[in-house]
Amino acid sequence: MVKFLSDEWIALGKQYMLEQLDPEKDMKHITTSILMIIEHVPPHDTTMNFYLELKEGKVNDFTVNTGATFTEKEAVFIIRGNYGTYKDILQGTLGTALALLKNRLALKGSKMEALKIIKPIDGVIESLRKITDEF
Amino acid sequence: MITKKGKPLEKIGLDAAVKIAEKGTHCGMCRIDFLGTGLCPSGKKHGFLAYWPQGRMELVKHLNEGQIKPTAKLLEIANSCTLCGICDKQCNFATQLRPEKVARALKDYVDTLDTKDLQVVPKDDILRGLCEIVGENWATNDPVIIASYVRSIIPPDAELNYYIVMPETTEQVAQIIKFANTKNIPFLPRSGGTALSVATPTILSNATSLEHGIVIDLLRLKKLEVHPESSSAIVGAGVTSFELQNAASKQKLRANVAEAGAHVCANIATTGVVTTWGNAYGCFADNFIDLELVDMEGNIKHHRDIDISNPYTTDHEFTNISLSPSYVITEAAVKLFPVFDDEDAVFVPFDNLEDALDMVLLLGKRGVGLSVAVLSYKYLAEFICPTPQIAKDFEDICKNYIKLRYVVDVICNKDDKKIVEELAEYTIDHAMLKNMILGSPKLASLKESEFMKILAEEQNPLKAIFAGPMRVHFEKGLDASPEQLAKVYDADLQDFFRKVYAKPEMSDVVWLHAFRILPSRLMRQRMTMGPGGAVWAGDKDHILKWVRMFADVGDKYHLEHALGFISPLDAGKFIYIEYDYFYDHNDPEVASRISKTLLETTEKSLVLGGVFTLINYLFKGIYRKEHVLYPLMKGLTKEEQMMFREVLHSILGEFEEW
Repeated sequence: MVKFLSDEWIALGKQYMLEQLDPEKDMKHITTSILMIIEHVPPHDTTMNFYLELKEGKVNDFTVNTGATFTEKEAVFIIRGNYGTYKDILQGTLGTALALLKNRLALKGSKMEALKIIKPIDGVIESLRKITDEF
Repeated sequence: MITKKGKPLEKIGLDAAVKIAEKGTHCGMCRIDFLGTGLCPSGKKHGFLAYWPQGRMELVKHLNEGQIKPTAKLLEIANSCTLCGICDKQCNFATQLRPEKVARALKDYVDTLDTKDLQVVPKDDILRGLCEIVGENWATNDPVIIASYVRSIIPPDAELNYYIVMPETTEQVAQIIKFANTKNIPFLPRSGGTALSVATPTILSNATSLEHGIVIDLLRLKKLEVHPESSSAIVGAGVTSFELQNAASKQKLRANVAEAGAHVCANIATTGVVTTWGNAYGCFADNFIDLELVDMEGNIKHHRDIDISNPYTTDHEFTNISLSPSYVITEAAVKLFPVFDDEDAVFVPFDNLEDALDMVLLLGKRGVGLSVAVLSYKYLAEFICPTPQIAKDFEDICKNYIKLRYVVDVICNKDDKKIVEELAEYTIDHAMLKNMILGSPKLASLKESEFMKILAEEQNPLKAIFAGPMRVHFEKGLDASPEQLAKVYDADLQDFFRKVYAKPEMSDVVWLHAFRILPSRLMRQRMTMGPGGAVWAGDKDHILKWVRMFADVGDKYHLEHALGFISPLDAGKFIYIEYDYFYDHNDPEVASRISKTLLETTEKSLVLGGVFTLINYLFKGIYRKEHVLYPLMKGLTKEEQMMFREVLHSILGEFEEW
């Protein structure tokens, strides 16, 4: 059992993305960086930050920390949402684009550019979905 | 069950009730006292949608399909109905339905239940938390109550794992949102729910509804203060357009509001107030002075606050799409406008859109009139006629005999009326309009009559009927009276409707334009989807091209369609267009065609460019028009068009599935 946001989940996610995602087919050779801020993470109502950097479709950096601020890296996109929203996305009950357009995820950065990379990002989420079996 | 006269009432099965219920469209007219009958006592007392006629109609469908099991609340809902008959009168005026039969079926059904078999719905931590905020009576997780919200915020195929909460204050709304965030539960505010019900049969259902979580029903935020000294009003989120207009009219003031059942605050949030009165009174953010809102973190904010982030920021890309509000407006300070003693209505009939458009553009630029619009014959027919069949026959007469395809519809003072009359060769005056309202059944019955055939042979039937010698015969022939009109209603309601139509306001075109009780007829027993948007007034060919596009797509998908209205806004600088498609909301095949129509017209509008479409103004009602419309987007490039499709597909699924 791999629990969403556990240390094991982070390690497995990183490994899966590196090994299983095809830079061309899955990731469309994109170069970008995204900071995903997950608020209200149970059980202590904390905030977690995921920094994902992609270069030519390959995962170049995947950094995770806990805390209200994340200043180590500057991301092209910052996507903020609560744990429940990310859970819905990982469980497949809510699409990433729909979450953005329903204001369930708040985006800092160009919505136009963000929607352009939705397909590759959905690939990342799909891979994380495969390794997540507990919330 | 017996009547007030002691006669036994005929038993009505759930099957029969469902047939009535399926025709309901969540127009919400049963929640406003627009005929002077008073309100449904049960709904007024208990609040939740399930206690209103509209909600009962929804929940019987779920009961009949076995999607919900009876709970103790079902008994309470059924027994709370006093069979007073108010709902039949209200609903019959708008839709010709008889919701009281549904209430009776529900009563008959619960009489058969053994209380030992009722499902017990345990309270959980979430419900306990919500009850702490709003009190025991105003939060529930009972599936029977939840079911009544299906199709007007909950998608039809959803599991009923929701909570419904009815806050009374802004502070409670803020606490609910904070609580929901802490518990990681999504939430969505609900007001009238009509806009959501329009989207529900289509591909937009999941995109605009709440997939699970907390429905925040705002009906109890009923604050309503009119300040005549400053010509303004403070309006809570539970106040409808009709209620505000009613309060304002007592001070000889008028609000610029949406359809009668629409909630004022929700309308500001969803589409902004865009009405036929917009050229004189303003549109979008012109209509409010201040807002009190709760953001998605549960913070209470006011537009007057110094540290509020700029609410008018926007981008002009087509991706600037919101499918849900990013705040909950709980209170608005809105502007009110004076009502003049010499206000009048004057309609100018046209047999083609080009000429009607010329006139409305001119009136807009000259600032003539308080309410100005081009209406299609279909709008006119739906508004005026008391039943769908009469409307259909009326349409036929307009289209095929008297060639009344469009009217320029002007509400104005005496001076402006003179200008309109000078500009037009002939007009339809208030007296004639009154006769057409009260005489609509007789007019409809003239279809295929010798009189109509002779009229159709005239070189200019419009002139002959409205300005020529035939006018006298026509008016006489209409036999217009409340007595005649009341005859089209069910026998037991005829006396009531005779009295209703005898009230001066029911055939007063100025009153009807302000109180807007007739647009609900666009949704009688079927749904109307009205895309459109804003476009600059300077390029008439561009406007006509856009309108033709809507018509062509309607033809392509074999839909009943017509122009809704075209109104000038902002001193005639731009115009607003609504184009309507009508469809049976219970037919998935038609709903699929509506979905395709909606998406195709949106894409074609974006490719055409120079227009501000529904998808881009939805949930951006608080934006100031200057920010949204300057500049208007250019047409999409091929690459952008492909991207638009990809975005839609990622949200809504592949096109073939729609």
